[in-house]
Amino acid sequence: MSRTLRANAGAVLAALSALAGGAAPALAQTGVVQGQVVDASSMRPLSDAQILVEGTGIGQLANASGRFVLLNVPAGDHVVHVTLIGYSEAEQSVTVAPGQTVTIDVSLQSTAISLDELVVTGVGAETSRRALGTSVEVVGAEEIAVAPVQSVATFLQGRVPGATVNATSAQPGTGSLINFRGVSSVFGAQTPIIYVDGVRVDNDQSTAAGTGGEQSSALADLLTTDIERIEVTKGGAASTLYGSDAATGVIQVFTRKGTPGAPRITGRIEQGIELPELKYIFDTRLAFPDQVESGEVTGTFMEDVYFKSGHTQNYYLGVSGGTADVTYNVSGRLEEKDGTQPKDGSTNYSLRGGIQASLTENFTFEFSGSYVRHNFDRLYNGSAIADPLTTFEVGDALFFSRASTLQEAMDIFLLPEITEWVNRSIMSGTARWQIRDDLGFRFTLGTDNRTNQQRTYEPIGFTPGEPTGELRRFDRSFTSVSLDAGLTYDWSTADGVVGTATSIGVQGFRDDESTIVGRGRTFGLPGTFDFGSAAEIVADEGNVELFSGGVYVDEQVSVWDKLYVGGGFRIDAASSFGDNIDYEFYPKATGSYILSEDLPLSFVDEFKLRAAYGQAGNFPGNFLKDRTFSSTSFRGEAAPRFSNPGNAELRAETTSTIEVGFDAALLNNRIGLNFTWYDAVTSDALFQVPRQPVTGQGTQQENVGQIRNTGVEVAANFQLLNKRGFAWSAGGSFQWVDNRVTDMGGVADFAVDGQKWVTEGQPIGTWRLTTPIDTNNDNLPDASQRVYTGYHPVPNKSGGVNTTISVGSNLTISALADWAGGHHAFDFGSVWATFNGIYRLERLNCGLDWVDPRIEGNPSDGPTCASAFPVQFDTAGVGKRKYSQSSARSAFLYDGDYFKIREVSVRYVLPESIVQYAGASRATIYATGRNLWIWSRNQLLDGELNGLSGGGLQLGSESSVTLPPNRTFRLGVEVVF
Amino acid sequence: MNDAKTFGVKLKQASCVLLAALGVLTGCDAIDPTEVDNPTTTDNDLAEASSPTEALLPGLRAQFARMINAYVVTEVVTDNYSIHGTGIVVDLDDPSSIRPDMINSTGTSVSGVYWNVQELRALADFVIDEIAPSDPTASAADIAEAHYFRGMAFLTMGEVFVAAPHQEDGTPQSPAASLTKAVADFQAASAFGTQANAALARAHRLMGDAGAAEAAANAVLSAEPELLFAQDYDANFLNNTPVAFLVLRALQEMQPLPRLDFLDPKYTTRDAAIPIAKAEEMHLILAEAALASGNLSGAAAQLKMAIDLAATRDMVTFDDNDERRNADLTFRPRNSEIVVRADADSPFRSGLVLDRPADDLEIPAISGTSLDADSVAGLDDADELWHALWLARQEIMLLEGRRLADLQIRLPMMLREIDQNDNISEGDQGTEVAHPNWLPVDPRYAMDIYAPMKSLYTSNEADAELMTTEVTINVDMNRVLTENRASPFQR
Repeated sequence: MSRTLRANAGAVLAALSALAGGAAPALAQTGVVQGQVVDASSMRPLSDAQILVEGTGIGQLANASGRFVLLNVPAGDHVVHVTLIGYSEAEQSVTVAPGQTVTIDVSLQSTAISLDELVVTGVGAETSRRALGTSVEVVGAEEIAVAPVQSVATFLQGRVPGATVNATSAQPGTGSLINFRGVSSVFGAQTPIIYVDGVRVDNDQSTAAGTGGEQSSALADLLTTDIERIEVTKGGAASTLYGSDAATGVIQVFTRKGTPGAPRITGRIEQGIELPELKYIFDTRLAFPDQVESGEVTGTFMEDVYFKSGHTQNYYLGVSGGTADVTYNVSGRLEEKDGTQPKDGSTNYSLRGGIQASLTENFTFEFSGSYVRHNFDRLYNGSAIADPLTTFEVGDALFFSRASTLQEAMDIFLLPEITEWVNRSIMSGTARWQIRDDLGFRFTLGTDNRTNQQRTYEPIGFTPGEPTGELRRFDRSFTSVSLDAGLTYDWSTADGVVGTATSIGVQGFRDDESTIVGRGRTFGLPGTFDFGSAAEIVADEGNVELFSGGVYVDEQVSVWDKLYVGGGFRIDAASSFGDNIDYEFYPKATGSYILSEDLPLSFVDEFKLRAAYGQAGNFPGNFLKDRTFSSTSFRGEAAPRFSNPGNAELRAETTSTIEVGFDAALLNNRIGLNFTWYDAVTSDALFQVPRQPVTGQGTQQENVGQIRNTGVEVAANFQLLNKRGFAWSAGGSFQWVDNRVTDMGGVADFAVDGQKWVTEGQPIGTWRLTTPIDTNNDNLPDASQRVYTGYHPVPNKSGGVNTTISVGSNLTISALADWAGGHHAFDFGSVWATFNGIYRLERLNCGLDWVDPRIEGNPSDGPTCASAFPVQFDTAGVGKRKYSQSSARSAFLYDGDYFKIREVSVRYVLPESIVQYAGASRATIYATGRNLWIWSRNQLLDGELNGLSGGGLQLGSESSVTLPPNRTFRLGVEVVF
Repeated sequence: MNDAKTFGVKLKQASCVLLAALGVLTGCDAIDPTEVDNPTTTDNDLAEASSPTEALLPGLRAQFARMINAYVVTEVVTDNYSIHGTGIVVDLDDPSSIRPDMINSTGTSVSGVYWNVQELRALADFVIDEIAPSDPTASAADIAEAHYFRGMAFLTMGEVFVAAPHQEDGTPQSPAASLTKAVADFQAASAFGTQANAALARAHRLMGDAGAAEAAANAVLSAEPELLFAQDYDANFLNNTPVAFLVLRALQEMQPLPRLDFLDPKYTTRDAAIPIAKAEEMHLILAEAALASGNLSGAAAQLKMAIDLAATRDMVTFDDNDERRNADLTFRPRNSEIVVRADADSPFRSGLVLDRPADDLEIPAISGTSLDADSVAGLDDADELWHALWLARQEIMLLEGRRLADLQIRLPMMLREIDQNDNISEGDQGTEVAHPNWLPVDPRYAMDIYAPMKSLYTSNEADAELMTTEVTINVDMNRVLTENRASPFQR
């Protein structure tokens, strides 16, 4: 059946007339199919179920009441397919008479595992889960739409088994640290690559100058608006087809393009408050006891004067609909957030549009575009001199401001203005051409353009030692163009016993990044806020260009629809490979077997075994293959020096993963279980290998190391109750990983991030800290040396638990919690506090004989306790028992384990009888809370926080006094017309 | 159906046109996405430079400035300065605690001294051995300048380190071997100016060759009796490192021994120049050679000339009144009422400690000393003259890097060098700090401590009251040097 352009135009007109006048008139020779989708057990209406009339391309998503109306269905016999994540697919036959309306009601059976669900990530073409040898996580539209979060990265927290997602702080514009399956590189960011509608997008975690411990991140403006589905692969064979930068996993985001039907207008209004999480704040009662005692301030000065309740407002308006041939989805969102600290707020404007058109029966075109404008203000954090929170917590506020009162000091520390804006547009176009029934072609071209500007203004009177004012500006422009073209070919024997699916494709992208940083110093008059008025101006720039392209082949063979074997490879070239490296080759092999088909057990509904082997890579650093000379300005001359030593053999580091696991649905789909064990070895790991200093050359990236991550991922969900309109489900996930550097390649131990080191046999970033030691065997420390503490900064176990209760079709209550542990975090706040004789840490309170080493007479201001670490120092010899914090850094390392109740939400769908008064089809009121409660093993710092230090590998768990993400409460109304 | 066919035909036609366009564009490289251009100079780019030696010389100048920065901050290891803050590893204040991992930075402070010496040497090797020979535009003056910088790298290596390799995979070379190479480079650098001779005098002194040192020093003084060759810095790009620790950072992280307070801060602005070679040092070398040979009157005369010349040098006015620059936790002596004695056996002396904070402190920017020229000229006791000589070297050349070698403290090489060179192992020569056994190291910071410290003031606030006016330094290192006959000409 071919469809003409003219007919399409008619359909658009029909849709427009529907928009104007209500129900669309059925065209001649067509009819209407309508109905409702409900849960088979509880009879709850199911929104967002996909309804598709086989062979026609006509489809729709069920609305909030589970209802759908399919227009222009050709007269005749049809099969209607209904699918929804978490449910078995349903099929129903209908006969459509010209000009008539057929009503069908579809009930879906919930499944504990969705073997028939189609995924595309990592397999070259849409493939059902039963054929996958790897684990792929899928999150559906319903869950995304209702989550009280702004960005995709934050959304994933606690929702994806096997993922560890850590926030940076309460401040806006920052990203989350996402890690799948352990740390596989010592230099590269561990953030997975992210695709939006097939277009590779910016995932840089460091897109502006650091403001103490915090970095602006490109993840902060990848919003959750209008997302249809997110697919997540965690590396290994599922990432092979993505080649040289997919070793850390792939996140694919698919946006809504609308479904046929009358226009649906959705409006959402949210109002909320944000409250600071003060669990780790000791306030002036600890840091400034003298001022509290004298009555200058209360013991809760920060709580009273500095922290505040913030207000959030969030508005969304979207329209979607279309005809059988052209569908659309357009929306806008505005979110304004006033934070819990002064000068901490953000405004987000975003527009998104998607359209899908069937130009002929065999040729479809999809386009999606989004625009985000993000403005935010921030405070310094992570520096004792400039950061108001830290400087007050550790007792430095008067010292560094030289103010005479704490209020004056606060006024000085609030002088800097740090503002940033981000403009981002992502566009994607995809053409699909079904050349024959068994041969398809797909072509995707898209871009991500992101520009941001950060201005840090320290007015006259602020900077210690530089009271004349300073303005710093950071401009970054990033463009990525990606292209993906592929052919798919399906074949099967006449009896259908054996089938094959072949995918061949080319994929490539080019990134261009340009940064300009400028600094203007010394202003003459107050109020000056631009470079032109500064006495000294300096600027610098950086440029990155990266191209990578490759071809892939993927072959899947199925036998009896229960045994699947697959294989494939990717061959990749990249501009960052050394001159002697032409390409990289990444193979993969997968297999799965639906055991339950051959071994029927009454309590097992489905049981799938799977295994896979695959490789994926991680690019070497840009331009690090070349020997270079870099010049700096010095006294009016360009002064060159040796820069990168150069390496013609530079190649991608390659992670080879073996994974085995099973997916099972048990007890009549009441229990779902997923288990995966993996062993991932990163060979040719890129280490920054120092040259001998005698050569005058610095370090060079070389493929010398080996890193191993072995772990398990377990996820379970339980349908605890599902009857008479009442449903109660719960789920949980657990992941554990053992991360080791297994071969240093002859390179000496090195630091990757301050006190975090790389050494053979230990996790990457293992803490190496100064520790008092006993050298004369009197059981008392008398010296100090840097030792490997045995602790590491990255959680090696994490998980999430969730539960949802639905009452009837109207009320849903859900909760989500997540936890992580096994890591240790370093508290600079406690270190700095000791300079002022303030003992934030319990262990020091009960242990370290704290004293400035240069002060004679050894006065001990701090309390001591012989039983605590680091016990009593050796008293032999004058001065021998005097150790500064720099000799006992290990005393400031704390257990990072935490458990957080992340979200609780209550949603109530108003009865239709009420809603119809307003002319709406559905209305929901909801209340959500986020970051509600924290349990942590230590009482000094949040073990979740990143303490990002910018660039490259970011392992987190190192911060000064940093506010955890705010507690947020929101009340919202969503109305659908 | 016809429309469908029409569309199909159109699609095919459009595809053909697009493919043809793609082919043409590809042929023209118009849309080649694979081409990337490294924005930094590569080997290929360097090969295209028309005058590569001339182009690389500013790099040597800047690298020399970096090396000098790191070199002068080595004075925190000595009695001259102590560390009061977080910017410098505090254990560097205690010579016996110094390990190769504390000398493992590539920055321009004391931890980077090894790196910057070797980078200067290697960059000069590159210019002299690889670039200049095939560069027809390289002038004799260019090459002489490059030799001067390499000579300064070898000289510093010979002054500061126990031993260091001179080439990749090389074994550690003794200070004598480094100084021998320095001498050869300075001889090849004579066209660069009198400062090459001044460096030669310093090298010969360190080698204990009094005759050669005197000859070079006399040559300098006859050429430029008031020689001052200083390294300028750049306020925006490559700052004077000590300024950060003396002035800019809130903690005043480098603080002088109280008897040197009147000389602090010697550098006050980001672009302040650091003296590299000056005539005073030549007089002091001549005085030292005279003393070693028993010519006391000759020594006294040279000392007087050094002191007289120092008195003619520029002063800098320093505004020390920004309170935040005096955010000082450590009860630094800061009243002119305070009298200081160099050790418990020495007399109290006034005038060594200035009133702070003040907005018009007058500080010697080049050379300053508490010695009185006429008194010194009248000295006829060898030990008193030696003591005056050491004190003059300490004060006149403060923060010029000399004190480390005067105290015969030698640093280990950078840990990275030990780790990466197969011919160097831990325990080899040059891998551990070395100092004479007469150097006081117990208690820690023995050279820096004085009494009273904490009880000098009622508090660390600016308006605190002085509780005593008498400060006694733990040890007078100039007396220790005298007693232990520490001059290279006495060994």
